[in-house]
Amino acid sequence: MPLPEPTKIAAVEVVAAQPTEADRAAIAHMGLKEPKAVYVVKVRLTAKPPVTSMAWALYVGDERVSKYWEYTDGIYFVVFDPQFFVTHKGKRLRFSQNDTDFFDTDAVLAPAPSVAESNAIKLPLQADVLK
Amino acid sequence: MTFAEETGELRNPGLPGIEEFDTLIYGSPPLAYPAALSQYAIYNTPDPAYVTGRINVSAFANLGAATPWPFTNTNVPLNGHVCIPRGRGPFPIAVFAHGNHNPFENSTPGYLYLCQLLASHGIIAATIDVNFLNGFNFGENDARAIVHLEHLKQFRSWNNTAGHPLEGKVDLNRILIVGHSRGGEAVGHASFFNWLASIGPVILDGSAGLGPYRFGLSAAAAIAPTDRQFVPTTGPTVVPDSYFIIHGSKDSDVFTFEGYHTYERAHAVDLANPTVSDGKFKAMLWVHKANHNQFNSVWAPETPPGVAMPRPSQEQIARVHLGALALAVLLDRREYFAVLRDHAVATAWDPAGTELVSQYQNPQRIFVQHNQEGLAPPVVSLPVQGTVAADGVAAARQLTALVGGAPTTTITLRLAWNSAGTRLLLRVDPATLPAERYKVIALRVGQSNEATNTANRDQDFTLEVSSGSRTAAFRASSLHRLLFPDPPPFGPAKIVMQTLRLPVARLVECGVDPSDLRSIALVFDRRQTGVVYTGDLQFTN
Repeated sequence: MPLPEPTKIAAVEVVAAQPTEADRAAIAHMGLKEPKAVYVVKVRLTAKPPVTSMAWALYVGDERVSKYWEYTDGIYFVVFDPQFFVTHKGKRLRFSQNDTDFFDTDAVLAPAPSVAESNAIKLPLQADVLK
Repeated sequence: MTFAEETGELRNPGLPGIEEFDTLIYGSPPLAYPAALSQYAIYNTPDPAYVTGRINVSAFANLGAATPWPFTNTNVPLNGHVCIPRGRGPFPIAVFAHGNHNPFENSTPGYLYLCQLLASHGIIAATIDVNFLNGFNFGENDARAIVHLEHLKQFRSWNNTAGHPLEGKVDLNRILIVGHSRGGEAVGHASFFNWLASIGPVILDGSAGLGPYRFGLSAAAAIAPTDRQFVPTTGPTVVPDSYFIIHGSKDSDVFTFEGYHTYERAHAVDLANPTVSDGKFKAMLWVHKANHNQFNSVWAPETPPGVAMPRPSQEQIARVHLGALALAVLLDRREYFAVLRDHAVATAWDPAGTELVSQYQNPQRIFVQHNQEGLAPPVVSLPVQGTVAADGVAAARQLTALVGGAPTTTITLRLAWNSAGTRLLLRVDPATLPAERYKVIALRVGQSNEATNTANRDQDFTLEVSSGSRTAAFRASSLHRLLFPDPPPFGPAKIVMQTLRLPVARLVECGVDPSDLRSIALVFDRRQTGVVYTGDLQFTN
């Protein structure tokens, strides 16, 4: 049997959304100023393979995304600090199962949308972003 | 050796015991499961005495947005199946958790076959619903651990509730947590979280709903676990409780034997205090021809037909070895530690022809050589003093990923020879090695699939132990088979070391004085060529 390979990425989209209560608690614990928005990075996949326990860790450049979640068209993760998009601007998304062998994708991190302070209240809920 | 072991009175722990028990469902109704999730509707009609609350796991996990759960991550249910022995108790408790799988299929009932076995021996045994964390996700195994601990808390609550059927029936000092796959990784995190006051911003004192825990965990057991998908801020989890792991060579999901790394981190030598033990044991069982999914009775095999052993055989192995673990740690049937120390004790109970590799580390031990000092040439490990001489054998310490996958942090000693009669000789100062205080010499050793080992042939050598003028020699194969690695379904072959346990009493029978032990040699005289990897050499119990 051949070694498994990760699925392909069709597109990356970043959407600003309202932080959840859990986000606020985590942000406070990290000592960050409470932002008006968090950023949902939606990674649309060409296909979702069967659910297994072995997983593909997702990297942005050399930084492993600690947690990601499933939505209908792929996976997503949430970024609290907009500096993340500055630090990793143009970095390639990569997958690895062992932190040693990496599968580069063709996708790069999309920039974060600018969020005007006065417009923050109108941001969508994360649940709505993922529908 | 106990009387039962000496007289061969151990009974197959995989066979049902004599206790009668009831099987109940507990849950958090009402929940409007949609048709696609109709398998979970059973939790809407729990036993009336076993209605549970909900918990908030939003600090740890999101629920998959592709699965229409009728709840959010702020109020997930505590659902499960529990087998409760009849009688007054108190009974020890074992709680099983599944791993990641298609969330539209309820994975929870897949361990009822093990729960029923344990209940028949007088153990309350539950299997819990963590399906809402399943899906195409990553990094959520801290949440699985929290759910596992919250289920234990539920049983503690029932035990402490006046008038509840479980009042006073749960022995909260005898708890076994068992997890499969990602649930197997999570039991390690649960063992770690159990004594924490907080995790990040989450206070575990009950004020925000989660915790406190502080359970008396007798052991954590992992079935084909993942490793390091969740990594605490303090670094990879080191399991603080006694630890057992079972994994199959044909696993085509967790195909890199991830849990080997968890096992190696647990109860490892402390280089600053090498004689200090944390008082816990660890044991490993590597099962040739077992796959991943057949440990769960409702999961379809992930391997093509004919690759793995039949499902009934795999379930039998799980019954025998997890049964032995449970009897040993939960019911104080200490004679069943014999199965953990040496899988050969269970040969008559395992399916005929099963090939197994096992490791065991007792809390009482002194290392003669643990190899963790660095990648320099091998030495005798302090505080034992001595020298190491490689005579015709290439001895090199390596950070080799014996099981493939992620890089290892554990050093092993590779021994390669190209002619018979070569040897690795460890001379020791007997004044620094109190061997007479221990019952066995234990050596972890395994062969690789490199070309100098003959495919599908057991490797062998001679172990020579000397005191003064008396030397005793034992063929390694008289202690255990050193199997050729079973070809994996894909990826690299795994080199899984076998713990060889040579009783000190046999040395004494041969005239070797353990209080005056001068040398231990691995003499490669049984095969013309070969490569083996050794982990550690210790005197132990």
